[in-house]
Amino acid sequence: MLLKNSQTFDPAPFDTISFDLASRRKDVIIMSSDLSKYCQVVRVKNELPDQHLDVGMAEQNLLSVAAGIAKGGYIPIATCFACYITRRAYDQMLICMGTGSGPGTNQDIGPTNIAIGFTPGIANPARIHHQAAEDLGMVRAIPNATVIDPMDPIDFRAAVEAAVGRPGLTYIRGHRGDTPNLLDPSKFNFEIGKTYKLVDGKGLGIITTGHATGWSLEASDLLSERGIDHSILHCPTIKPINEEEVAAFAFEHDQIVTIENHQVVTGLGSLVTEIISDIGGGPRVTRLGLPNIWAPGGSMTHIRRVLGLDAEALANRIGEL
Amino acid sequence: MDDRIRKLELTAARIRRNVLDICRQRGGYAAQGVALADIASVLYFDEMRADGNGWFHDRFVLSNGHDAIMTYGALAESGHYKMEDLRTINEDGGWVDQSPIEGQLGFEITAGSLGQGPSQSAGLAWALRHRGSDARVYCLFSDGELQEGNVWEGVMFAAHQKLSNLCYIVDNNDMQASGHASNVMNVEPVHDKFAAFGLHSIRISGTDIAELIDAFAQARSVTDKPSVLICDTRLWDGIDCLQEALPMAHYTAKTAVDWDAGLAEIGSVIAALEGVVG
Ligand SMILES: Cc1ncc(C[n+]2csc(CCOP(=O)(O)OP(=O)(O)O)c2C)c(N)n1
Ligand SMILES: [Mg+2]
Repeated sequence: MLLKNSQTFDPAPFDTISFDLASRRKDVIIMSSDLSKYCQVVRVKNELPDQHLDVGMAEQNLLSVAAGIAKGGYIPIATCFACYITRRAYDQMLICMGTGSGPGTNQDIGPTNIAIGFTPGIANPARIHHQAAEDLGMVRAIPNATVIDPMDPIDFRAAVEAAVGRPGLTYIRGHRGDTPNLLDPSKFNFEIGKTYKLVDGKGLGIITTGHATGWSLEASDLLSERGIDHSILHCPTIKPINEEEVAAFAFEHDQIVTIENHQVVTGLGSLVTEIISDIGGGPRVTRLGLPNIWAPGGSMTHIRRVLGLDAEALANRIGEL
Repeated sequence: MDDRIRKLELTAARIRRNVLDICRQRGGYAAQGVALADIASVLYFDEMRADGNGWFHDRFVLSNGHDAIMTYGALAESGHYKMEDLRTINEDGGWVDQSPIEGQLGFEITAGSLGQGPSQSAGLAWALRHRGSDARVYCLFSDGELQEGNVWEGVMFAAHQKLSNLCYIVDNNDMQASGHASNVMNVEPVHDKFAAFGLHSIRISGTDIAELIDAFAQARSVTDKPSVLICDTRLWDGIDCLQEALPMAHYTAKTAVDWDAGLAEIGSVIAALEGVVG
């Protein structure tokens, strides 16, 4: 499923994803909140201006207008930094975009509402205010919502395409700028909810999502060199995740480690422990990710080093278990 | 009066120099820092009263986080910050944030999430008045921030509470992250909007020292409502040779402009003013 020895980068994943989608689907409206350039919405803005709408720096307005546009028969894809699209406009996300699929009903009716949050977690250098370390937890608490944290341009593209066909609210974490191509598009088949075993081993099971799947693959090489057998399960869908697959993976292993570019509170680690403890008698789960402290600012390389999330530190922390 | 103005002009020129010196290291919000230098000079070196302990009796709330570069340039001039520290801005492992967190000297609020200063400064002004303090509150925010609903919620509160101890300063530079505000999301007529909300609204260039002194004095004389100084600055105001970075000068990359040319230009302004200031 992974590309062999891939060293290639996609310089602007969402620019092509959004342009291809909007070229094909005339009912898609890509929405910005003064951050078109910073979310790499360039070609749609310039070449398909009828399908681009900027509401200014106004995130609550972004999501409320988007929800209105959805009610008017279009498919809005609202874009912003992850921190603002969730924290700043959470109520609008929940109320305006999130209740359309019908409170108490399932996700089979109601308008499609898509929100994409860029530079999530420590992908943003400006500490605290620009770092969304709690967006996954916030959005997965919304009933009926779909939440996806893709690992690379391939599952990012697939997630956006899948969201367009889905009623109700979908929140996707976006990749921006030079993003490593990791998945082999000819072998990877994205399905909402599905989990993907990227490394197949025994004993130690690593469950990851988003940027952290890339981090785990880096650590995986070191673990293999050190003779530490392990598996990696990539979970692009945080909600609705296929719980049976997660549980089956967990119970196949003696120890589980979760790794995420998100606080260990409320994110993937919390989700996995919820699933396993609901069943009971499962393996121990160690949650790695951003601790519940204010993360430092700076380059992602720097922040990962400080927080013990670089390849070396991850391999050490996992190896010590 | 003339000497007071010349001195503040000289301080403004030095602030501009500091801004370039800091931003040339790794890039930054240089164009805003340069354009806001006159406001900073009058605010920090003339308008706000000292507390007798090396800080200010009056309070300044920076709402537009990335305009911290203005504060850094000014507080380097006042000696509160050292230039060698400020030159580490945004360095991995450094402590000088481009958009600082509440509690760092000179920064009352965490402002990188924009649009939250007008309400916080209104709350601060209400509390100070409630406590019987005569301290005034100044809050700088931007035209981009005018697009946030939170701003107008704060403005409405301030007017309703008749917070005459509050003076808003709007950097109305017709620029935001993706281009001219007039193209992205028009905010005009700014003066009429604030007036309609019940504020004493004064529209100025924001780059003329005498005009700024007058405007702040006028704001102080209003006793029944908050005031707002709408400043029509333009990015790079005060350093002509750098204006070629426009229009996309919201963020100035390290390689985007000729920092040496800018420093040379502002250096000669400083030299000329030093010649006339006693
Ligand atoms: C709540 C929030 N939304 C979005 C951003 C991203 N952002 C940073 S600066 C900016 C433009 C702000 O406009 P303005 O302050 O007028 O920019 P300037 O005049 O300094 O170029 C945006 C949208 C942010 N920091 N905070
Ligand atoms: Mg502006």
